[in-house]
Amino acid sequence: MSDLAQSLSVSASAMQAQASRLRHVSENIANADTPGYRRKTTAFEDVVEGGTETGLVKLGPVELDPTDLARIYDPGHPMADPTGHYDGSNVDLVIEIADAREAQRSYEANLKMFDQARQMSASLIDLLRK
Amino acid sequence: MFERLDISREAYALATYAMTRQGAISANIANADTPGYKAVDAPDFARALADGSGLQPLATRPTHLARPDAEQSFTLATRRAPGNESPNGNTVSLETEMVNAADVRQSYDMALAIAKSTSAILRTSLGRR
Repeated sequence: MSDLAQSLSVSASAMQAQASRLRHVSENIANADTPGYRRKTTAFEDVVEGGTETGLVKLGPVELDPTDLARIYDPGHPMADPTGHYDGSNVDLVIEIADAREAQRSYEANLKMFDQARQMSASLIDLLRK
Repeated sequence: MFERLDISREAYALATYAMTRQGAISANIANADTPGYKAVDAPDFARALADGSGLQPLATRPTHLARPDAEQSFTLATRRAPGNESPNGNTVSLETEMVNAADVRQSYDMALAIAKSTSAILRTSLGRR
């Protein structure tokens, strides 16, 4: 039974992590046209408590993508330099959409496992009820 | 009496095995995007039974102490999947996990069905319904 409770909390932590990942993706997409914006990236990490791996997962610290910003030519822009260019963002919408889709798939897989563990404990309790 | 029935003990072992494996699958799917994570799994039930790793040791002599109340546990091991590693070192395959999850569900339901019918037989033998 403790295994099932553990598996519920593991799935819940993963769903939370995927949801935060999706939040970072939407921040990136929202700022795709913000001048000088660097896209945020995060990696998943194991949660280690007392030196042992708990199986739980969390989002690591936010990092900024160090790739070059897009140079956009627009001499009339208030931020344009003498050559008529200004720094755009380095967000690639296709990558963000792909990342969002992947987060959604992982979220669904975790939800399915959560539901299965829940049903398993429910059928165990049904057995006791009789 | 209930614990000493072989069939109900085996059903109990199968249910424990399914729960352990469900925990492993949940952890694998949760860490499907964690760099460097290696997928874990329990050996299949028939092998775990044959090894005796999940059940108590056999008492082959009268002097051997049997522990019918021993806590059953199954050990998890890293699954070997050569060539299936993604560039960040992760070895989880969501498809494999889904198949395993269906398998776990089936074994667990079977174990519970056996437990249920054993208890129905016992109830009948006690003259209750």
